[in-house]
Amino acid sequence: MTTSQADAAEGPSRAAGALERAKTAEAQQYVLAGVLVLLFIVGAVLKPDTFPTWDNIRNMLTQASVIGVLAMGMTFVIATAGIDLSVGSMLAAAGLFGGILVGDDGTSSLVFIAGALVFATVLGTVNATAIAYGRVVPFIATLAMFSIGRGIALLLNDKLPVSLLDLNGGSFGEPAVFSLAWFGNGRIIGIPVSVYVFLGITIAGWVLLNRTRYGRYVVAVGGNREAARIAGVPVRKIIFSVYVLSGLLAGVGTVLLCARLGSASPVSGNLYELDAIGAVVIGGTSLAGGRASIVGTFLGVLTFALIFSLMTQLNLSTEVQQVTKGLIVLGAVLLQRPEARY
Amino acid sequence: MNTILEVRDLVKEYPGVKALRGVDLDVREAEVHCLLGPNGAGKSTLIKCVSGAVEPTSGQIRFQGEPLPAGDPAGSLKRGVATIYQELDLVEDLSVAESVFLAHEPRRGPLLDLDKMYRDSAALLARLGHEGIPPRAKVGALRPAAQQIVSIARALSGDVRLLIMDEPSAILDGSEIETLFEVVRRLTGEGVGVVYISHRLDEIRRIGDRVTVLADGATAANGLPATTPTDELVELMVGRKVDQLYPDRPVGTDKLLLEVKDAKRLPAVRGVSLRVHAGEVVGLGGLVGSGRTELLRLIYGLDQPEEGEVFIDGERLPPNRPDRAIKKGLGLAPEDRKSQALVLDWSQTKNVTLADLHRFSRLVLNIKTERARAREQLQQLQTVPDDPDRHARLLSGGNQQKVVLARWLLHECRVLMLDEPTRGVDVATKAEIYRIVSDLAKAGLGVLVVSSELEELVGICSRVLVMREGEIVAEVAGQDATERELLRHAVAPTDAPVLAEEVE
Amino acid sequence: MSRLRLLICIAAASLLAVGVAACGGETKTVTEEAAGTPAAGGDSGKTVNIIASVPPTDHGWLGAVSKNAKSQAEKYKDVKFELLQAADADSQAQQVEQAIAKKPDVLVVLPQDGAALTPVAQKAQRAGIPVVNIDRTFTKPDAATATVLGDNYQIGTLAADYIAKELKCKGNVVEIQGLAGIEVTTDRTKGFAEQLKKKCKDGIKIVAQQPGDFNPDAGLKAMENILQAEKKIDAVYTHDDDMAQGVVQAIKTSGREKEMFLTGVGGSEDAMKQIAAGGLYRATFLYNPNMAATGINMARLIGLGEGFSELVPPEVPRNLVVPAAVVTKDNVKEYEKYAFN
Repeated sequence: MTTSQADAAEGPSRAAGALERAKTAEAQQYVLAGVLVLLFIVGAVLKPDTFPTWDNIRNMLTQASVIGVLAMGMTFVIATAGIDLSVGSMLAAAGLFGGILVGDDGTSSLVFIAGALVFATVLGTVNATAIAYGRVVPFIATLAMFSIGRGIALLLNDKLPVSLLDLNGGSFGEPAVFSLAWFGNGRIIGIPVSVYVFLGITIAGWVLLNRTRYGRYVVAVGGNREAARIAGVPVRKIIFSVYVLSGLLAGVGTVLLCARLGSASPVSGNLYELDAIGAVVIGGTSLAGGRASIVGTFLGVLTFALIFSLMTQLNLSTEVQQVTKGLIVLGAVLLQRPEARY
Repeated sequence: MNTILEVRDLVKEYPGVKALRGVDLDVREAEVHCLLGPNGAGKSTLIKCVSGAVEPTSGQIRFQGEPLPAGDPAGSLKRGVATIYQELDLVEDLSVAESVFLAHEPRRGPLLDLDKMYRDSAALLARLGHEGIPPRAKVGALRPAAQQIVSIARALSGDVRLLIMDEPSAILDGSEIETLFEVVRRLTGEGVGVVYISHRLDEIRRIGDRVTVLADGATAANGLPATTPTDELVELMVGRKVDQLYPDRPVGTDKLLLEVKDAKRLPAVRGVSLRVHAGEVVGLGGLVGSGRTELLRLIYGLDQPEEGEVFIDGERLPPNRPDRAIKKGLGLAPEDRKSQALVLDWSQTKNVTLADLHRFSRLVLNIKTERARAREQLQQLQTVPDDPDRHARLLSGGNQQKVVLARWLLHECRVLMLDEPTRGVDVATKAEIYRIVSDLAKAGLGVLVVSSELEELVGICSRVLVMREGEIVAEVAGQDATERELLRHAVAPTDAPVLAEEVE
Repeated sequence: MSRLRLLICIAAASLLAVGVAACGGETKTVTEEAAGTPAAGGDSGKTVNIIASVPPTDHGWLGAVSKNAKSQAEKYKDVKFELLQAADADSQAQQVEQAIAKKPDVLVVLPQDGAALTPVAQKAQRAGIPVVNIDRTFTKPDAATATVLGDNYQIGTLAADYIAKELKCKGNVVEIQGLAGIEVTTDRTKGFAEQLKKKCKDGIKIVAQQPGDFNPDAGLKAMENILQAEKKIDAVYTHDDDMAQGVVQAIKTSGREKEMFLTGVGGSEDAMKQIAAGGLYRATFLYNPNMAATGINMARLIGLGEGFSELVPPEVPRNLVVPAAVVTKDNVKEYEKYAFN
């Protein structure tokens, strides 16, 4: 009800400020793209031999893929004015579940992949049920799952990782298509499979958010829940669905990460949710809901991957890395929102 | 009498827009100075300049002979300029007393003096004739009308020399408006100057001393007497003559569209039955708090009813399922457009099509068709600006209402329910909305209108139902209805008469 | 309203970050009792009550510590043993506090954070309950009657010795460190760097030093980026066997496993298997989880006290350093029995 900001009755006076704001929202992506290019140039200058190489770009994209997939789900969640703090924990739990499903003698990648996807989706559904039908605040419900998921990951194999190195489709050398190892190390025309998965999900996410009834409903629920309900949007179903989607994508993240790691570790995915949320927010999706950008999230994920790669290449110490990362994120957000500086 | 506020040649420019292009205003001590003008004329910008919320580009504002510091709300307040904004700027989670004393809480040492806060706010509310509002209640739990009273109490909590009221009566009903006027008269009696903004021309004659008319960011007439004829004022405001405020009264058919049987949800709705036929506009009158809005919510399925059934075309609607009600042809334009009807950061197009996306959706949405169809509807309603991509936030109240109407036109709904359809809408747009409602009825829709403006119900309805304390207590045929009769039904018979001249 | 909600979100998110740094914040208590019947003969007939408190065993080495402590205690008929697991330093302090109330004969504490647990250990000592401190030391000398230590600095020097020998003091080394900001990591880093300097002067260069947080996926990502930056790497010194699995994966994916070799720390089964098989994984440095068993032994001796005064010096040795060992393909068979997992 703090409606002074929502007051538009006096057309032109309000209009001007709000119009600027609207334009800024659009421009946000361009600013972030600029930050990305700038960081790349900085990297190219500081590490001319090793940073601006095709090999390194491929490496950064691969590294971005896991967080990227999680961030796509997170974009939908945040668009409804929700939050999912449990993606990292769900990812770890799904990996362990898939791992023990396969067992010691298993060579079936499909069992692992299906197991991980299903288990992560189930955990996401628990979140969804608690939030949409139990009316638990998303922050609390997913904070609980943050703890539960990690606990399950540790419980499933007595705190130990499960090795998945054998899941390469049964052949030596190049992993078989659609085997687990293929998702980790396989390449199609020189580009890792995990990058295709990431890009595929990004494109699908863009279409879903911007070009379908579902996506429109998601943003409507975040933008004005009451108005959405009065316009006939099935609000609860929509809220339910985004957490299920987030769980499913955590499962996809599991497959990509475990494939690359050759094992499922109960401590993996630690605090991935913070990177995912960070990427979504610097991409211009509003934490208050109602405004979401898949392209922004994509750029945000790349920015994080680029920062990490650059700082590791420069061999900065941890403490310097942490401060630098924080400053870049803060700077990127400030650059995007000049109207926030008052 | 001394001039307390003197505004000279005030200009305010936003990038690309000139909101004020030279405004003059003189307000005297102990007078009620009415400020008139269509939406977008610059009224809000003007008062924001005076209250310090906005810094003018150029021009002079002198208060009690001294220049007011520009863009300094605290400074304006300290000198005795208090403002009640059109939109309630209250924090819902605070208590009434906390809201009244927000940012100037009485303190004892470093601690809040809660006792004093409760005591003083109770005294202020009593001064406004609203002892009934508990100082400890949460603001969010109050009806808008009561929230308005809290806003006024808050403005009065300091030492006020000039009180600016932006459409204070928009959400009040007859008796509450009278109480408000009492308060205003008392304040002017104490020598306070009041700037009063309203779209209701009749109020100006009842409370105003002088009138200033703004049009298009400039002063069209400065300090006219309040007795200036309505036609003249309207002409000044819109720059042309408004031919006819109310269209021909639609006559209903026998075809039953909506039937409500014994709808009940205590305490607001205590068993209501009503029927709406094709081609008629049914009014729902009554005081604020008589259960009208709650009834609409029950019919629409937004709240779970305790008892009762709703039928459309003889088919029963499942309770608490607005999506099913919409599918059956029901539409609702809610009371508060901004918080209940629109996604403000969305374009007009997206807001229009929200209830009908399935039309444009195969696997993906056909954005082009969507836009074209939305535009058709918007153009038919003469929404300005004619820009389907314009954000809803940037539209005036009247045009926002048209966007909501366009949504239900696109949906081709059978029964349209309008809750306070002209609240915060200027005279010219009001006339347009009345015409639209009338046309819809003539096209065979059933329309159910809730309004606190009795004149409006009298003007457009085929029938008017009057609600009191959650029940329908009277039905009056449109052509026989008078404001007086409706008001008589609306107030409880045991109550003291609300208006002096109503004594019979 | 929306702005308010945003603020709450941000505040809560930062709270979360803090909570996470403190490892979840919830208290998990696992009470396992290994009650021994009082010894039938030979011994004094006295039963020693020992309560041990350890951090969350979500890591292989800590898991092994708990397991070893328990099985060692079960060997003695005259020991009544209880194992407490805490989720973080705070809850561990509370647990120890509660344990004091139970008046055990001896407390064995492997603190999550030595400094944080020091006051409560002092309290136990003052209440007349001797404390045996394992692995991570308290900051005050009067907080423990006896201390059993591994030597992280020594692990660093052993790794430096090994790598110096293998590379003949010439080449580029990458170090994937543990969790930044704790003593274990600092000691392992310092021992390595100083010994390398001593042995080879500037012959071996540490070209990259990045944290892998004792976490395989963090190790993987750090190594992937280092592999991009460094075109010639001869050896990789990692601080932990579990984490090293991620590093191994990164090197294998890059196809550069012939170019370099790798060492771990800890002695996990996986690592031992890979060392036995030969190839990339050359050595690990055993930070013996048996030190827990040693700690239980000491606790028992202290608890039995005078009954043993003729057999051991009246004072149980105050500090015991369990030496680290180098495990390579040549001797891996001997050490496999110590492997955990």
